[in-house]
Amino acid sequence: MNRSTPRSRRIASRWAVGALALLLQGAALAHEAPAQKPGFTPPAAGTYRLERIMPAPDGNVVDAAGQRSRLAAYTTGKVTLLSLMYTACSDETGCPVAFYSIASIRRTLEKSAAAHGRVQLVSMSFDPDNDTPEVMRAYGGSQAGGRVGVPWHFLTTESRRELAPLLAGFDQDVSRPRAAGPSQDLLHVLKLFLIDRRGWVREIYTASYLAPAMVVNDIRTLLMEDGAL
Amino acid sequence: MSPARFPGRRMRRGLLAPLAAIGIAVCAVLAPLAASADETCNSPYMRNLIRGQEDYVYVWTLGVEGMGDGSDKLVTVDVNPSSKQYGKVAHVLSVGTRGEAHHMGFTDDRRHLWAGGLDDSRVYIFDVYSDPSRPKLVRTLSDLPQRTGLVGPHTFYAMPGRMLVQFLSNSKDHGGVTGMAMFTNKGELIRTYGMPTGSGGDGYGYDIGINPKKNVMLTSSFSGWNNYMMDFGKMLQDQEAMKRFGRTMVLWDAKSMKSEKVLDVPGAPLEIRWSLNQEDNWAVTASALTSQLWLIKQDGNGQWQAKAVAAIGDPAQVPLPVDISITADGKGLWVNTFMDGKTRFIDLTDPEHPRQTYEKVTGKQVNMVSQSWDGTRVYITSSLLANWDKKGENDEQMLRAFAWDGKDLQPLFEVDFYAQNLGRAHHMKFGSNAIKAAYEPLDATLAQNR
Repeated sequence: MNRSTPRSRRIASRWAVGALALLLQGAALAHEAPAQKPGFTPPAAGTYRLERIMPAPDGNVVDAAGQRSRLAAYTTGKVTLLSLMYTACSDETGCPVAFYSIASIRRTLEKSAAAHGRVQLVSMSFDPDNDTPEVMRAYGGSQAGGRVGVPWHFLTTESRRELAPLLAGFDQDVSRPRAAGPSQDLLHVLKLFLIDRRGWVREIYTASYLAPAMVVNDIRTLLMEDGAL
Repeated sequence: MSPARFPGRRMRRGLLAPLAAIGIAVCAVLAPLAASADETCNSPYMRNLIRGQEDYVYVWTLGVEGMGDGSDKLVTVDVNPSSKQYGKVAHVLSVGTRGEAHHMGFTDDRRHLWAGGLDDSRVYIFDVYSDPSRPKLVRTLSDLPQRTGLVGPHTFYAMPGRMLVQFLSNSKDHGGVTGMAMFTNKGELIRTYGMPTGSGGDGYGYDIGINPKKNVMLTSSFSGWNNYMMDFGKMLQDQEAMKRFGRTMVLWDAKSMKSEKVLDVPGAPLEIRWSLNQEDNWAVTASALTSQLWLIKQDGNGQWQAKAVAAIGDPAQVPLPVDISITADGKGLWVNTFMDGKTRFIDLTDPEHPRQTYEKVTGKQVNMVSQSWDGTRVYITSSLLANWDKKGENDEQMLRAFAWDGKDLQPLFEVDFYAQNLGRAHHMKFGSNAIKAAYEPLDATLAQNR
């Protein structure tokens, strides 16, 4: 009788989610992703202020090709929507929601020439133990890169030590189980950050506050600030 | 840029592994949403922490001159029946000053508890994550009137990655015209928002309640520093002072933080509770001076309206409804009435026609009421405001816990806050050891950097 170890179960779980993400990415390309639909009409872009909440932190990151860089390279110069996540997240109200929502937002932005070259998307893992560049590359799949004018970057860090100041800077909570067990889910509040081209966080989203239409209007609001719209 | 090194971490799984595991993942993704939990009157943006029995009740306690060190305190009471300390004070954290301790609220990640003083306008940020049994004061905001023009931080409402604080007064005339202030979770001020004074707005503030599904924020209105710091008996005789109470609720676009409509709700509408039933989109509040329960919902034309739907007790006797606590299914509401010391249960099955189904005298004066998610445990405290609490032997100060079986409140334990030299027991929030026992923070530097 084969008995799976917590480690092997974790690997299987992680790969299951990764494989599922790949399948769902295909589905997402075919039709509208099941992202959050608001029960309200978001205020029109440019009719409200997005406050300067805090500067986005900087630190060392690694992209899906294994190239080292500074996070600031991905949070300045363009309007950035950044999601903190991990690939093995199986919480149906967590990271998968962020993935779907970003994919939906991206499809909308693709249709706007003003967004091309001025907006970027970032998914950054807070699980450096498991989310290697290879895993991030597999997770991003066909979504990775800049083929449609709104690039989507998949980043990780080399170590918890490199990750710590970034989590502190974003004030992102992450906890891992103390004991080995069947569930090795990381405990966290889902957060995405809208960052202006000067590197300031201008909005923070969570699972119950992530309607793609609202986020798109926020991005447009920042583009209007920059005179791009 | 240079290639990163990840020693020993190569992709080494076969192709069959992910395919074999897809079934597991599908089950995980399609599994029913985990039941919400925790106490019932928190921000919808907060992590729900407590799945069953809460371990602690944190009581934000007003200091009393000559009692202990006389300072405001965060008192941690052990409320887990399996604990040897059950029903006992587990920890006392004095903040070293007395500033009219009043309300508290958790950050969205539930790691920190913000608490305010209505008199000195200080805001305290306690770490309740590192050791839930021993909260630690990590930051004090002590210059808010100078920086914001606002006085009396009352409601602490978790927003995604931020805290929205509703104030009661202002530094210019200490009247009721006030505003809100948004902070990062670390306590950095982002901006302030004035309460509307046009289109029928009185500019007053009290509580905050958000319905994310509708992008709607409601605020209510109470009174300014001049009133809430005045002796209660003296204020009742002051006709001008009695005119200076809130009579409105304001409907805001929660995204843009713009006020959209002022609702006429006379008599100082206080706590706001949205139904926690995901199918519902209505809220209730209680007006303290007119003793009415109000329903706020959309009419047939989609317009938000407020209407009085039931009297609480006999309004002619001025029972003074104070805190309210809604059940997890949105079908019931606990209401404390301060003057007669009663805890009342209101059936909200038909929110258009609420009816009281139970009442019990639970103290000589009762103010706050909180309940567990399953509704079987109900906690009450006694203090309203230092200068409004009853005098002499009626100035009872306690935390009392009850079991609720749907028919009667049965006493479980009580803590006498005067006998233990603690002070006046006011707002409560629940604590739990669950996360600390099972998880370790990956981001340990958070607390150090705060």
